[in-house]
Amino acid sequence: MVPVVTFRQVAREYRTAGGAVLRALRGVSGEVPAGRIVAVTGRSGSGKSTLLHLAAGIDTPTSGEVVLLGRPLAALADGERTRLRRDHVGLVFQFFHLLPHLSVEENVLVPALVAGDPLRGATARARELLERVGLAGRREDAVQKLSGGEMQRVALCRALLRRPRLLLADEPTGNLDEENGERVMDLLLGLARGEGSAVLFATHSRELAARADETWTLHSGVREP
Amino acid sequence: MRRYLARAIARELRAARALFLLAVAGVALGVASVLSIQILNRSALGAFAGTVRAVSGEADLSVLGWAGALDESLLDDVLATPGVAAAVPLWRAEAVVDGRPGASLEIVGADLLQAAVRAPWRLPEGGLGDALARPGWVALTPALAAEMGWRVGDRIPVSLGSRRAELVVGALVDLQRVAPLASRRLAVMDIAQAQALLGVRGRIHQLDVRSAEGVPKAELRARLEARLGDRARVLTPEQRTAEAEGLLAAFRLNLTALSLVSLLVGGFLVYASVRASLARRREELGVLRAIGATRAQVLRLVLAEAALLGAAGTAVGIPLGWLAARVNVAAVSGTIRNLYLLEGIDAVTLGPGLVLLAVATGVAGAVAGALGPAIDASRQDPRALLASITLEERVRAGAGRALLVGVGLLTAGIAVHVALRSRWAPSAFVLALGVLAAVPLAAPATIRLLARAGRPRRLGVGYGVRTLGARLGSAAVAAGALAVAVAMLAGVTVMVGSFRVSVERWLDATLRADVYVTTPSWRRARSDATLAPEVIERLRQAPGLVALDPLRQVQARAAGRRISLSGIDAALPGGARRVELVAGDPAAAMAALRGGAVLVSEPLARKAALAPGGRLAVHGREGEVALPIAGVYRDYGTEGGAGLVDLSTFERLFGAGAPSNAALYLAPGSDAEATTLRLRAALRDHALQIRSNRTLRAEVLAIFEQTFAVTRLLQVMGLVIAAAGVTLSLLVLASERRAELALYRALGATRPQLFAVFLGRGLGIGLAGLALGAAGGAALARVLVDVVNPAFFGWSIALHPPWGALASQAFAILAAAAAASLYPALAASRTPAAELSRDAL
Repeated sequence: MVPVVTFRQVAREYRTAGGAVLRALRGVSGEVPAGRIVAVTGRSGSGKSTLLHLAAGIDTPTSGEVVLLGRPLAALADGERTRLRRDHVGLVFQFFHLLPHLSVEENVLVPALVAGDPLRGATARARELLERVGLAGRREDAVQKLSGGEMQRVALCRALLRRPRLLLADEPTGNLDEENGERVMDLLLGLARGEGSAVLFATHSRELAARADETWTLHSGVREP
Repeated sequence: MRRYLARAIARELRAARALFLLAVAGVALGVASVLSIQILNRSALGAFAGTVRAVSGEADLSVLGWAGALDESLLDDVLATPGVAAAVPLWRAEAVVDGRPGASLEIVGADLLQAAVRAPWRLPEGGLGDALARPGWVALTPALAAEMGWRVGDRIPVSLGSRRAELVVGALVDLQRVAPLASRRLAVMDIAQAQALLGVRGRIHQLDVRSAEGVPKAELRARLEARLGDRARVLTPEQRTAEAEGLLAAFRLNLTALSLVSLLVGGFLVYASVRASLARRREELGVLRAIGATRAQVLRLVLAEAALLGAAGTAVGIPLGWLAARVNVAAVSGTIRNLYLLEGIDAVTLGPGLVLLAVATGVAGAVAGALGPAIDASRQDPRALLASITLEERVRAGAGRALLVGVGLLTAGIAVHVALRSRWAPSAFVLALGVLAAVPLAAPATIRLLARAGRPRRLGVGYGVRTLGARLGSAAVAAGALAVAVAMLAGVTVMVGSFRVSVERWLDATLRADVYVTTPSWRRARSDATLAPEVIERLRQAPGLVALDPLRQVQARAAGRRISLSGIDAALPGGARRVELVAGDPAAAMAALRGGAVLVSEPLARKAALAPGGRLAVHGREGEVALPIAGVYRDYGTEGGAGLVDLSTFERLFGAGAPSNAALYLAPGSDAEATTLRLRAALRDHALQIRSNRTLRAEVLAIFEQTFAVTRLLQVMGLVIAAAGVTLSLLVLASERRAELALYRALGATRPQLFAVFLGRGLGIGLAGLALGAAGGAALARVLVDVVNPAFFGWSIALHPPWGALASQAFAILAAAAAASLYPALAASRTPAAELSRDAL
């Protein structure tokens, strides 16, 4: 079976304003099979977010190869990479990134608007997800009125709206207290397993990482064996 | 703090160059609009005063006729008045240069013997003898000689009335050195020669008087007035310039008001730019306040930045304004010559006073634009500045309040106008200002309404329109600025269109003859440009002639102002159709005219509060005569006022004389064009303009279009600034919403989708600006048509909106808004998903 995402000797370097080279990732390899949940751990600056960006095709590696659903991302034009991400990848961010001018339900529907999906079906799906995360009664509310945990649950619904093959979550509980973090993680893993999505999530927390099927640890851009 | 200011500005320039440049462009165009109009306004008055000065030097007083020329014998009376040291007679008229279409000379016949001693200019060595002895000798300005390619010794064919004459370039005298704004078309010759050559013996136009040492000007003026009685007027140079100012007042005020709208729209751009800059630098200001910067320091920092932005805009705006003034000299000059019968503008100058005005306008405009956001930023405490809450929420909350303030200002404008309209004409502008103030204040509510219309089905144009409400502040400022420009454009377009239809109908009603005969110099020289008796005789023999309708006209003083008084044959069969009365029976009015009454034009009736049944006091040759007013007729020829009397009354007032115009009524079925050609051939020895009804009508409408040429340029400048406002606003949006755009990209939005979203936002702003501007324009059109024109120009106009022109303007505005969105849309579409920062949104 083709892995959902594969990293082959991936390196990512940035040049600083002073001209120095910053090596965010160095020769990272690994693959995430369908339905598998992988945690990426490591200290701040170890390259966790960079790895997730590369998996989403938001960023491109300096060397090495990232293959998403059997398609090497480097060979794709920006538009093709964008469409691949739109159709098969869901994203959850540490800081939620909800649009303040849209209601809860409208925020969940944004990926459908982006993809041009028929709104009737998308709305039904959004409501079903909101029901499952316990926010069915808040769908008309402005997002500013939600608590942090509620905001992240909305973001999770948005990420899962189009049934992505890969769910990428960057510190999904990093901005939440322990109790809310637990709850969000329960929902994330439960929903992903239920939908059959593979998950690659970055976290500082050993406890959360322990709930994954597999853990990759990064240290100064290198994956520890 | 000063060092910090320099660094902050340098950083702002690096971070948001496009925003800064657009705001500078807005100020520059606003300053250019105001400055160009002020240059033209001052040059128009300068041309009059400069010509007076170049001709008369330092005369203390001028003796002028009440209507046209004076009798030369008046000189003896003036010289005999105690306290008069010297009196110089002048004969002045504008003669046209034959064979050079549009070229004319302002001939000044002077006593060159006296001028050699007293005039502020000098003839070349040995020139005086030549000037007195050689027939047709004339001194020209070097500027005109260079323009026309004339050299000393060249012969110039000219005409005054139907009479032709030949002048000889005797010398080149730089009269513009004496008075830089004096007409370059001044041509000085000996007065006796001028009178003889152009057939006006014994007539002069003015006597320049110098008072004896120690005699106060006011006292001498009183003595001269007592001695001359009703035969002449005695004015100081200042009074003459003030009269010209009065004649041009309404014209100047209108242009100034229009140019200020451009400045207002430019101010919006500064407001938008400063708001965006402050939104971006909220945290920076918060840190400054937290480490001890006072509120006053923050306020000064923001205002100093705006002042520098204003200074940069002014630096660009001054040369731009100068250029715009030069481009428009011909159009404005034509209007002043044709409509107000004053000296046209030959030169424009930019004095230190105007430069200071431009600097003050640009800097003050920019500071005024920045004041609101600056005060807002300085009032915030550090905690509020550092918090993530944005200005947007308060703008959203304030949309309803802004609408209420707008409605309040409009109501106040209406109230002021209703209360003061009969006593204070500028109350019309207060009303217009109320409309223009209400329009942008309604912008936030309009955008909110637009954003609620429909639910978008995909990320594209519709989504862009719908989400405009999310950053209401930026969008509302751009839509407000656009709405002001559109309101002005639509209002003035409806006014000009209505005016044109009114003039066309007036021409249909009053231009009844088939052929019109006048002389090339008539438009400016009026009573001096007459048709020779033999010309009238030949016209009477024209084939198919049914009636010949002669007309005499003079610039007379009546009801305390200068008016154009015309003498017509009131007994002409069917002649009542030549006038369109505002009210009443034209046939009865013609009968009253035959009995010695006068018809007054609508502008004169309004400005001098005259009505049928009253009397018009006209200064004639023998003093003031009060003529009974038989009616008020429609007239769009002169806003200064006009009157019509029978030729017999005209002769009683101003003496016998030749007509300056003749209208020919031909038998039904006659070919007017063919008759015109035949008459031209038969009368080619005379300087005449012989035109068919159709040609004259076309020429009148061409003059009408020329009159509004500057208006159209100002409208375009206002719109360009507003379009720049749309670009600026979208760039602000693209920069403020970079994180949102990055999120869309992260969620799989393609570049064309983001491009479409921003195109939608530009169109949304365009639509909101258009809708509000149309509403404001409709109100403004009513104010201009029903209030401003009657109050300032005196004529009434029927409302006839030019729907075709308005529709094409609406299309152009939307296209401009879409075009203005292209660059920001492109910039937005290039936002990478990786830009999604942690603290954004």
